[in-house]
Amino acid sequence: MASVASTSVSSPSSRSSERFGKIGAHAIVLILCFLTVFPFAWMLSTAVKEADQVFTQGWNLIPESLRWANFSDAFSFFPVANWLWNSLGISALTTAGKILISVPAAYAFSRVEFTGRKFFFAFVLATMIVPGVVTTVPNYVMVSKLGWMDTWTGVILPSLPGTAFYVFLLRQNIMTLPQELVDAGRVDGASTVRILIDLIVPNIKPTIAVITILSFLGAWNQYLWPLLILSDFESKTLATGMPFFTANQEAAQMWGPMMATATIAVLPPLVIYAIFQKQIINTFVNSGIKG
Amino acid sequence: MATLPATTQGAEASPIVSAHTRPTARWYQLREKATPYLLIAPLIALILLFIYWPLVYQTYLSFFDWNFVRPDMTWVGLDNYTRLADDPRFIRSLDGTWKYFVTLIPIQVFVPLGIAMLLWPIRKSKAQRGYQLMLFSPTVIAYSVGAFLWLWIFNPYYGVLNKVLEVFGIDAIKWLSDRDYAIWAIIIVATWKTLGFHLLLYMAALEAVPNDVVEAAQLDGASNWQIMRSIRFPLISPTFFFIMVTTVISVNDDVFGAINVMTEGGPFESTTNIIYYLYQQGFEYFQIGSAAALSVLLFIATLFLTWIQFRFGERHVHYG
Repeated sequence: MASVASTSVSSPSSRSSERFGKIGAHAIVLILCFLTVFPFAWMLSTAVKEADQVFTQGWNLIPESLRWANFSDAFSFFPVANWLWNSLGISALTTAGKILISVPAAYAFSRVEFTGRKFFFAFVLATMIVPGVVTTVPNYVMVSKLGWMDTWTGVILPSLPGTAFYVFLLRQNIMTLPQELVDAGRVDGASTVRILIDLIVPNIKPTIAVITILSFLGAWNQYLWPLLILSDFESKTLATGMPFFTANQEAAQMWGPMMATATIAVLPPLVIYAIFQKQIINTFVNSGIKG
Repeated sequence: MATLPATTQGAEASPIVSAHTRPTARWYQLREKATPYLLIAPLIALILLFIYWPLVYQTYLSFFDWNFVRPDMTWVGLDNYTRLADDPRFIRSLDGTWKYFVTLIPIQVFVPLGIAMLLWPIRKSKAQRGYQLMLFSPTVIAYSVGAFLWLWIFNPYYGVLNKVLEVFGIDAIKWLSDRDYAIWAIIIVATWKTLGFHLLLYMAALEAVPNDVVEAAQLDGASNWQIMRSIRFPLISPTFFFIMVTTVISVNDDVFGAINVMTEGGPFESTTNIIYYLYQQGFEYFQIGSAAALSVLLFIATLFLTWIQFRFGERHVHYG
């Protein structure tokens, strides 16, 4: 409707300049898109090239012949299967843990009256101003004293409380639910926990879904913490194992299999994002983070 | 235990049995009172253990000389703090931190705003979804893997960037081992990696600007640019402020992955920053006391920067 209003007041010449502006905008954005996507395209191209084409002087994006064996080479030269399993397991468990501690807390902070509610909520939100790197040293010492080095527990447990933003999103969502929903449950004699499980959770499923996605992506992409905790070459994740290729003289010559591994590492997040783009954006739009 | 009242409602429970198992009203009340605390307990406990306690614990560690493996810790008082000023590596890391600040904050705060304004008139076009998908794609992958992709692009012998530059008659650049270029390589990767997220936040904010205000201005004959400057921009200023604050806090944190994968702080510490220095002190040289002291200072600096921004920045923000 905004465009209707603007065309009614603008002269033909300004309309044509507007169209010209739009074409210009498309052109600039297309160039930006090309620059953004190029590293991925180059990765894919290298991942399916023969070694002699990788090290050629040219820069052809489309390979002359396809070599899918780079992918099987990746699995046989490097412990890529282990890394994939570790990435999947750690990401899934971290996500499950964050949801399990965040949903009940967000519900308590929004729909249950209790003494100290404001204090505890502030206590949770305040964690957002503590940069992750600041707690790395003491947590490292603690994890090693607890004997959790090189374990999933050591990676997962200390990263669970980094969930304040999700608690905030969930709380925002629960507060939009009608109070009658909770009152109806109360009239039926349902306990606080019953109301959470039977009435609240079914109504906030879309937000839980988005948080599941964001949390999974976050855990999948985590770098510094798993880098410190998982020191065995085999116990690493995809994100922390891959950079070690470059430290390895032999591996440094195998850009084909290395880019095949990179493809395996970036594909899950990209596919998940492509599928859920709309929901993710909507959550941000509705969260109030816009201001 | 929470399921008890529900099961006692079951028709199959005989009245006599349920009279015995049904919790008394008093017990039920007590339990209902305790429930909210139990609901938040796991989260609060984990936060205490892994976020707030570490802040205390590292302050304690910062007064000791300790190399992590040795069982005994030596009390050194404030030495870990005062020694920093004499460490040339620390000074160089401050220099790098500053360079990332002055380059990446404008890039990460203003460039996505410009692109969002560019995308705004064409937001209804069919290509929009595709644009967003592409521009956002680097944001969803791991920083380390993204840096790894660029490592291949920056490769001095076989990297595609130098091959393209050759076409324009530019000699091969040793992107990652030349101290004049290495930090720019990191900045390029950081820009590529973070642009999409801020763009998305700006787009969401522009979307939320109420239409009636814009239409009223249009009826008054305001141009598109005037509307953008005088109406849309003030109304999205909370988002701008949010992005500003979070960027100041996270920008040096963010580049860690790129530094670690691409240059390890080199060449000649030209790409190092305070976060990387902390990482090296703590986990390469195992100077736990020194790293802890640095963490304490970093935390205080973060609080201070955030406070300053709220104190002097927020008054220009229009909420509502």
